[in-house]
Amino acid sequence: MRGRVFDLQRCCVNDGPGLRTTVFLAGCPLRCAWCHNPEAFAGDTARWVEAEEVLDEVLADRDFFEATGGGLTVSGGEPLLQPAFVKEVLTRARAEGLHTCVQTSGAVPRDALLAIVGLADLVQFDLKHPDALTHERLTGRRNDDVLANAAFVAAHAKQVEFRVPVVPGFTDDGLEGTAAFVRGLGAHALHLLPYQRTYLDKYRRLGLGARCATVEPAAPSRLASLASRVEAAGVHAVLVC
Amino acid sequence: MQLERAVSSPLSAGPAPSPGGLHPKNAVLKQRLLGAEHWLCIERARYATEVWRQTGGLHPSLRAAKALANVLAKMTVRLEPEELLVGNRSSKPIAPPIAIERGDFTFVFKYLLEDLEAFGYRITPEDRRELLDDLIPWWEGRTVRDAKVAALEAQGLTSPPNASPLELVRKLRAFGPRTLGRVLTPRAGAEQPLHRRLPRLLRAIRAGAKDNVKGRGRCTDTQAHIVPGHKNVLAYGFSGIRDEARERLGRATTDDERGFLEAVVVTCEAMRDFSQRFAALARAQAEGAVDNERRLELLDIAKRCERVPWLPPRSFAEAVQAVWFVQNAAIISYGAGSGITPGRVDQLLFPFYEADVARGALTRDDARRLLEELVIKLNDNVVIWPNLGGVELNHLGSDVENITLGGVGRDGRDATNELSWLFTEAIENTSLATTASFRVSAKSPAAWVRRVVELHRRTNSPAFLCDETAIATLMNDGYPLEAARDYCLVGCVEPSGNGDTFGATGGTKVYFPTALDLVFNRGRTTFFGNQDGPDTGDPRAFRSFDELFAAFSRQLEVMVAQVTEATRLRDAIWAERFHNPLISCTIDGCLESARDMTRGGAHFNFGAVGGGGLATAVDSLATIRELVFERRAVSMGELLEGLRTNFRSHDALRELLRAGPRFGRDDARVDALAADVVARFCDLVRAQPTVTGGHFKASLISYGMNVYEGALEPATPDGRLAGAPLSNSMSPSNGAETKGPTAAFNSLARIDQTRIGYGNSLNMRLPIGLLGSDAGVDAVAGLVRGYFKKGGFHVQFNAADAATLRAAQERPQDFPDLIVRVSGYSAYFTRLGRSIQDDLIARAELSP
Ligand code: SF4
Repeated sequence: MRGRVFDLQRCCVNDGPGLRTTVFLAGCPLRCAWCHNPEAFAGDTARWVEAEEVLDEVLADRDFFEATGGGLTVSGGEPLLQPAFVKEVLTRARAEGLHTCVQTSGAVPRDALLAIVGLADLVQFDLKHPDALTHERLTGRRNDDVLANAAFVAAHAKQVEFRVPVVPGFTDDGLEGTAAFVRGLGAHALHLLPYQRTYLDKYRRLGLGARCATVEPAAPSRLASLASRVEAAGVHAVLVC
Repeated sequence: MQLERAVSSPLSAGPAPSPGGLHPKNAVLKQRLLGAEHWLCIERARYATEVWRQTGGLHPSLRAAKALANVLAKMTVRLEPEELLVGNRSSKPIAPPIAIERGDFTFVFKYLLEDLEAFGYRITPEDRRELLDDLIPWWEGRTVRDAKVAALEAQGLTSPPNASPLELVRKLRAFGPRTLGRVLTPRAGAEQPLHRRLPRLLRAIRAGAKDNVKGRGRCTDTQAHIVPGHKNVLAYGFSGIRDEARERLGRATTDDERGFLEAVVVTCEAMRDFSQRFAALARAQAEGAVDNERRLELLDIAKRCERVPWLPPRSFAEAVQAVWFVQNAAIISYGAGSGITPGRVDQLLFPFYEADVARGALTRDDARRLLEELVIKLNDNVVIWPNLGGVELNHLGSDVENITLGGVGRDGRDATNELSWLFTEAIENTSLATTASFRVSAKSPAAWVRRVVELHRRTNSPAFLCDETAIATLMNDGYPLEAARDYCLVGCVEPSGNGDTFGATGGTKVYFPTALDLVFNRGRTTFFGNQDGPDTGDPRAFRSFDELFAAFSRQLEVMVAQVTEATRLRDAIWAERFHNPLISCTIDGCLESARDMTRGGAHFNFGAVGGGGLATAVDSLATIRELVFERRAVSMGELLEGLRTNFRSHDALRELLRAGPRFGRDDARVDALAADVVARFCDLVRAQPTVTGGHFKASLISYGMNVYEGALEPATPDGRLAGAPLSNSMSPSNGAETKGPTAAFNSLARIDQTRIGYGNSLNMRLPIGLLGSDAGVDAVAGLVRGYFKKGGFHVQFNAADAATLRAAQERPQDFPDLIVRVSGYSAYFTRLGRSIQDDLIARAELSP
């Protein structure tokens, strides 16, 4: 079984617990203004790779996973555009006893989530913005299916982390709404992913323009005040950096 | 987010220092150290020579004992107003004691004093006259170096630069005039124009290259690199050691034995008298003290110095003072540039700490203040060198006094104790380039490993050592389990017994890429141009990679044989004439055998042969295998032409070579080649006996010398240009780590590291921003644990990113304490020579 992969990075942190190897799958239904992985749908870095090949490289770091409680993370793009491939990769990883994590934008058919929800030890679920129209302006699509899928994952995943990219001027006004939403799903925490300018470098390399080229990353004080607003909305704010 | 890509911030972004922060008095001591000028103090040389002049014919141990006693009796003793711990080693704050009898610095003083001065060293006009007109002339022909060079020449083991017209042309083609010029000129220019300095420089180069061993082997004049028996001084004091020597004297059967034992008696009493001088100084200062608190401190200092190291310490403060007295005197006795190591200080001092705390006589804060001061004193050293030939070692802390912390005890149980933590706090608070080795075993507390990782936020010094690998390594070389568990790190990362070993862990070296150079030139090195090795045939006639590899192995074998023979000749000179009864009498075995350590008196005896540029050679071999023999994309003739012209007008060839396979990418085939080269090297080295009755052990460490090592190496088949740095220690080549840290760890772990008796070092880059989060700290701790589980021996991280390093290079004044790991030891980035800085920046930049 082959999948379209545009990168594989060993030794990642913040893609789930411990040290992880993260596989980046090509393709994405969204077009976020600040997208940090434009290679997912632009450029020619993606290639067809066998699931077995992915596992071979992932398993090379088994000792480091064991030392840190880490494992394999499937990311993108949107990995669940290739549900069968993800399913196979996860199945093989579980057979090897690896901890598994899937990162998703949630903008995917329910079937895709159904296929993997039992195979992932952790689902990292991105919520860009709670407001449907703003969501469309920022990502090109409304968020009805995202919100419904979030509820589904909250109910069925072994463990879920809801995450929000904090892009000043784009997403920061939706943080409280998102916090309230995940609290309604029974989640205790919201993970905040501060936007970093280093992503712009990728656009330059790919010859793309970036809609967020002028955005300045949030200052630590600003992040702290955003975090306290999330806390005020009743969930714990976890800063990921 | 990949580890390597984490966003970095400057070192100063770390959190506040641990509880209490640096003690204010220690802050003054630290500032004084960082601001002090470098001096050449000739007291050690003068007072030792005084005795040598009058004692011809005396037993060598006794002669050394009397020389040391004279130095300790007459040298300047100093006591700074902020000190609790006393014991200086020369008349000025930073002034390495000069062991003139070794002769290793003589040509520097004779020909390069101006360059040393231009580099910031100072010497008084009187001292300068005495050194050049009196001391050096008397030693002419009498030093270790002179005797060594004569012995090497007599045995036909040297290989001076061949300056025949043909060879000069070859050298110029292979290196280019600019690279050659760079190698030959000190960096910090003296005021004189080059043409005026040139005659002096050429004399210096001729003198300095005199001991080049055939096959580009290096065999320095010193042995040392040793852990003195601090444990025995703490247990018995020098009085106890003297009594034992006297008792053994009663059973002595030869004049040789008597000579050594009498020397021990003289030495022990000299140590007693030395500490009494400090006691007297402290009492004198106490009398004049207006500040009552200081007066009481001075009286305490006096009381401690009246007791230790003559009698065993009764308190923590006495024990720390005793350790410092021994460490300091050992360095005075051996001279600077000797790699003398205090060893497991947390284990040595813990019983005293525990007892004092139990009886309410000591607080944690008081203990920390003393340890901070000890750490500052351990940083007061420098190697004397004018930065010639790309060697840039004259920065503060370069004459490493490595301390070992943590790990298991002799009983196999985790021995990390309160002092391991307190030392860590002291290292953090002082934020100096302390070279410290942190032992980690599977039993080490997770919190301890995390704590050491967190040290990177304030200082870049921690080196991680794997107990399981190190202990297995020591046992492979004959240590019983209990002694192996008690290992300490000597010099940079060489594992050695605790006060029971004459290990001489450094000084002798060969370079793997030279073996290839010898193959390509049928037994000649490009730089020196003599027939140093066997003619292994015309490389263009090799039909397979195996033939090439066999020729490489053959050259390596001859290189090891030559360099160990040279080392034995040197060691025989030490054994015959240059003893050290001070260090010897503290080490297990010497009293019982009534023999100096240089004569094999210690329990365990070894020598060392370092191997440099492993990855450069392995990448070269793997590239030839693939491009010349498998893909046939390049012919051997084309390759040789490229190497001999430093790829001038062979850009396409060089690009092809640079894209070849690399060690450090978790590529099993390349890694197997590395494992094979290392295993062969270790076996060749181990088969060689030392004059002390032991065998040689291999190491793969650069000690920051890979820049210099590369300066004399022509272009290599991995596409490296002539004169560029070799790969460092056992690390992958700069830029090879495209697959990140875990891939590099996996590559290194394919080498059986327990064969490498004197250790190896892996330098890895780490963005400091990563350590801002708990997840990042856990990740680094996990990397260390994962690597050690796979059989790794050592790893250290450089936390500063390329941008920070470049900024520090441009604005050194803004980064006075940016600390980096060079290769097994720590250094202030802004005090490093430009070429080492460039190498570190390149390394930081080339990571993905
Ligand atoms: S969901 Fe992720 S990959 Fe897709 S466009 Fe948004 S940021 Fe980029």
